[in-house]
Amino acid sequence: MNGARMMQGRRAGAVLLVPALVLVAGVFLAPFLLLVLMSLWSQPQGSLLLDTTLTLKNYLRIFGDPFYLRGLLTTVWLSLAGTVLCLLLGVPLAWWIVRWTGRWRGFVLALVLIPLTCGALLPTLGLVNLLGPLGVVNGTLKALGLIDRGLPLLGNQAGILIGLVQAFLPLMVLPLVTTFGRMPPSCEAAAMSLGARPPQVWRHVLLPLAAPGLLAGSLLVFCACLTSFVTPQVLGQGKVATFATMAYQQASQVLDWPFASALAMVMLAILGLMGVAAWGLGWRLGAQG
Amino acid sequence: MRGRGILLGALSIATLVFLLAPIAVLVLSAFDGGKFFRFPPREVSLRWFVAAYESAEYRRSLANSGIVAALSTAASLVLGTMAAHALVRGGLRRTALVEAVLIAPLTLPLIVWAIALLQIYARLGVSGSLGGLVLAHTVVTLPLVVRIMMATLAQIDPSLELAARSLGARPLRAAARTTLPLAMPGLLSAGAFAFLASFNDVIVSTFIAGAGWNTFPVRLYSQLRGQGVDPITMAIGAVIVVAILTLVLLGEAVFKWSRKL
Amino acid sequence: MRDGVRVRASLAAALFGSVVLAAPAGAQDYSGQTLVVGTWGGDIERLLREHAAQPLEEMTGAKVEFLLGGSGDRMSKLYAERENPTMDVAFQNIYEAPQLLSDGLVVAPDEASDAYKAVWPGMNNGCYAMSLVGLGIAYNKDLVPEPPEWADMWTPDYHGMIAMAPYPGSEGDGILGVAARLAGADEHDADAAFAKLAELGPPALTYTSLDEVFALMDAGEVAMAPMISGYVLAALKEYPGIGFAFPTEPGPVLIRDMVCQVANSPNPELARMFIDLALGAGTQKAYAEEIMFGPTNSQVEISEQAATDTINTPEEVEGLLQLDWPYVISQRADWTERWNKQILGQ
Repeated sequence: MNGARMMQGRRAGAVLLVPALVLVAGVFLAPFLLLVLMSLWSQPQGSLLLDTTLTLKNYLRIFGDPFYLRGLLTTVWLSLAGTVLCLLLGVPLAWWIVRWTGRWRGFVLALVLIPLTCGALLPTLGLVNLLGPLGVVNGTLKALGLIDRGLPLLGNQAGILIGLVQAFLPLMVLPLVTTFGRMPPSCEAAAMSLGARPPQVWRHVLLPLAAPGLLAGSLLVFCACLTSFVTPQVLGQGKVATFATMAYQQASQVLDWPFASALAMVMLAILGLMGVAAWGLGWRLGAQG
Repeated sequence: MRGRGILLGALSIATLVFLLAPIAVLVLSAFDGGKFFRFPPREVSLRWFVAAYESAEYRRSLANSGIVAALSTAASLVLGTMAAHALVRGGLRRTALVEAVLIAPLTLPLIVWAIALLQIYARLGVSGSLGGLVLAHTVVTLPLVVRIMMATLAQIDPSLELAARSLGARPLRAAARTTLPLAMPGLLSAGAFAFLASFNDVIVSTFIAGAGWNTFPVRLYSQLRGQGVDPITMAIGAVIVVAILTLVLLGEAVFKWSRKL
Repeated sequence: MRDGVRVRASLAAALFGSVVLAAPAGAQDYSGQTLVVGTWGGDIERLLREHAAQPLEEMTGAKVEFLLGGSGDRMSKLYAERENPTMDVAFQNIYEAPQLLSDGLVVAPDEASDAYKAVWPGMNNGCYAMSLVGLGIAYNKDLVPEPPEWADMWTPDYHGMIAMAPYPGSEGDGILGVAARLAGADEHDADAAFAKLAELGPPALTYTSLDEVFALMDAGEVAMAPMISGYVLAALKEYPGIGFAFPTEPGPVLIRDMVCQVANSPNPELARMFIDLALGAGTQKAYAEEIMFGPTNSQVEISEQAATDTINTPEEVEGLLQLDWPYVISQRADWTERWNKQILGQ
């Protein structure tokens, strides 16, 4: 293809991006800019209406009090841990589904999808029942003699993590199944026939091929954990402050919208820093590898 | 190899059990005759299934949820796949910023954004309209579709499409005959996620939906504080789960889906 | 000249006739218009539909649509939609309504109307009072053999076994008022209130739905919870092991549901008519009989069973603890932060 055709192809390619960007600009970015502006507003004492004089007092409140930053960082920690756990459980499960389920693949995939069909609240209540001091989990562990007293699995980060993984593992597994499904078994066979052992096959052949799916799944799970409200609220029993629970409380119960917006902005800044760090790390690893 | 296969199978089945245990609790509690969520069920009864069937309000809210989800899924599949195609194959160099913008809706708690969106809609005089609600849901589901389709398209060799075009097929037909069938599993996943995300959304719908468009999750959440979980919703959840599994089994038996995917 | 007089006379007759015909209130035709009512779902929606919405639809030909959700979300929606409200009537709690009036989002209750005068005096602050409930104590009958008093919650045996509702909320404000009084002060002394309440230890749970708290209370994980009478009394039949007490020192905290007419709404006359029906005998009686929410309409007669379970006489109202709600509301942001840190231990 000559240069002119390539340029034409590039512009044509970019054109496909326009409708999505227009939608996002109109329906997402416009309110987002309002949020940025609101984070610089405040509320007069005794009223819930907004005072539009610009002020930094919301940000000063967040940075001046470790309580809020701690909540945001706890959320990041829980989201990272949840993503890692979903990777650890999701990769083997996806691999098994693609290689070992044959005719039952559709059915097993439907089983994996089922937790997403019931919304956030009902399965979480089911989990509360199972994880409670008198629930099945503690009951089984006690019957097996592994513990004497009930494990506290509710009202703390452990319970929330379990809930996050149960809720969002399907978001990891389905993209991985699509990705693994496109990788022919002959890849592994070829690598192994050349003498590579399974860990090497994984690291140098399969992982790079699976990278797009792994990235998609991880991003989706991370974002879902980050903004999850029902899981931390119900499984944390109100004792663990996370981004979404704080945002909901401030936005819809206290109705301090400027403060809620400021919380969201600080969190986006934290994510932005993480994104830049990850990009830099990926660039450095890419340069080495 | 066999040993490792069995180990992998055991781990996978254990993971599946973990995933489905709370759902099993939910489905079984739908058979409890009491007004509150109770597991194990004390008195087995089908009264909530009957009540769900008879409830015009719940039927209407399920229909509302379905319509909004279908419309927004269709929109986000089209827009999202086009965007993913442009990002993966468009030959663009600086995609990081665009990708960040397209995933941004997933990083904010929807409550803050929904309140801001409602203020804008109110000023424009369109608050409560179906169109406004569908647009809001589309924006929320678009990032899911974009990410999944990006991963899907990255694995499909572009030369297949180019080969078809070099043989004389016009661009759209080339894409439809080569890339589309290969992308089908990704499209189905993205469509399923988008539909479910929209169907189960409660925050955006609470704020943006007008009075005639109460969706199923909004109805569920609207009585939590005063009355607890309406057992009708558990019956409906149980029916949805069984319906999906039955549909998939039938599809497999009749269409042999898993071979095509 | 005579024709002119006759024309004017017949015009006058026509006008007079149409005024007379239009006079009976409610017989006007509103068909094609939709009244939007924001309320909680479940039984409340059902009762309002039966006793207020359907009669209104029959009377006027208009349609009534319900907008469902929690009161916090509804309040946010009212503020966000201020430029162009879509809701005509909104049901809110006592800890929200005065704020709505002072910020100009609702129309002040019309003191001359019959509905206003039928309500117990002093109840209509911010909006019209819809129902009366008391904050009492739900308790596990095995762990707590006698109906408890407020002070019993502080017994060391029950440390960490008290369940709380999400804050901000009327239950939280109510228990803070009680804690303050037990410490010898009142809700204006936040330090005393929070210090006393923190002595209970972190709550066993913060429940987002009634199922959670009842399941745990039934299982013995939760000993007591400050809860609203209407919700608990309706559930007691399902849970024989759970009891509900109206304490006496101090008495139960008076909590009210309010019904508000949204300012600048599309259908103000229909809104007034709906509110009149909601405060009327039919709806108020149904509230008392079916969901144990006490009537605010002092002229309503209810059955004996309902009368024992609800607050419906002036003497009972006297015995309730009334908080300075406008003050409590003004402290909401501050108290929420304190609640998160001192009570929940987040």
